[in-house]
Amino acid sequence: MTQHKIWDPFVRIFHWTLVVGFAANALFVDDDSKLHEWLGFAIVGLIAARLVWGLIGPRFARFSSFWPTPASVIGQLSDIATGRKRLHLGHTPLGALMIFNLLGTILLIGLTGWMMTTNAYWGVEWVEETHEALVTWAEISIVLHVLAVIWESRRTGVNLPRAMVTGIKTLPDGARTDP
Amino acid sequence: MRLQSSAQPVSLLVLIVAQSLCAAFFLWDVAADGLSLGLLAFATSHFVIELLAVLALIAGVVFETRFLMDLLRRKAHLEEQLGLAAGAFHDIVEARFDGWSLTPSERDVAHFTLKGFGIAEIAELRGSAEGTVKAHLNAIYRKAGVTGRGAFVGLFIEDLMSTPLRPPEVAA
Repeated sequence: MTQHKIWDPFVRIFHWTLVVGFAANALFVDDDSKLHEWLGFAIVGLIAARLVWGLIGPRFARFSSFWPTPASVIGQLSDIATGRKRLHLGHTPLGALMIFNLLGTILLIGLTGWMMTTNAYWGVEWVEETHEALVTWAEISIVLHVLAVIWESRRTGVNLPRAMVTGIKTLPDGARTDP
Repeated sequence: MRLQSSAQPVSLLVLIVAQSLCAAFFLWDVAADGLSLGLLAFATSHFVIELLAVLALIAGVVFETRFLMDLLRRKAHLEEQLGLAAGAFHDIVEARFDGWSLTPSERDVAHFTLKGFGIAEIAELRGSAEGTVKAHLNAIYRKAGVTGRGAFVGLFIEDLMSTPLRPPEVAA
């Protein structure tokens, strides 16, 4: 067993704050309340900070370290198809696709939500419908994300949820790593 | 060495993702109709046709996913050795493995064994423990009905000697 410090405090706090913020706004807070608006702005601010961190942060937080390419995605699928275990220290290519999907979707949810508060778009139907469709899309994505994390943890023998809490990945003996 | 560009699996993957989204959308639609109509829904031809179309779409996605996984396995094994003969031999090997119902991991271990890799080397290549590879090998020998590596490799030598290796001529 070898231990690697992967996720810095900012990445972990960002992840779990986003979880709490999105869950609160999507499931618990009244859609027409001021609190819903403020939470929305806070989430957009949080993602903006993550985007900056992706450019200036430490190695595993940088987008350049986990930018998915067709070849790397096919590589991960080949590992799944052949039952090989090649571990990625940072985000996996498929995981990275989900990250960019969620960041983009939640930003668009924030944008359409903000548009509903402006005079120009207040009460405009397509804005509200887009806002709600994007939330449904984000919810589907989150369910897939959680299922994929469980599946990858079982496949590779690395407890991924714990790593996102403690920041440390514990890799099994003899594991091949592909950073 | 790369056998070909990865364009084929990528476009197949994009197709699978797109069709999965369509299937999810129409399944949602059919489920909503079914819930509002209740059991009566099955008496309306519109609903039944929609349901069958969705099921066919889902079956297509499942089939494509299995095809993609087979394709990736094949590429993973052929990339290390180019050539038409390797492709023809690979098909014979795959047909045998199909007959024994090897799991994806067992297939991979069996391929490495045929190439002459030892247990420690296979464990290193696959990123797994030696004990796991031994367990895979035992399962492979049991399914193939042989007692060990020598007899296992012998099965394929037999095939090689009785099967012409050259596939139909292909313009290079």
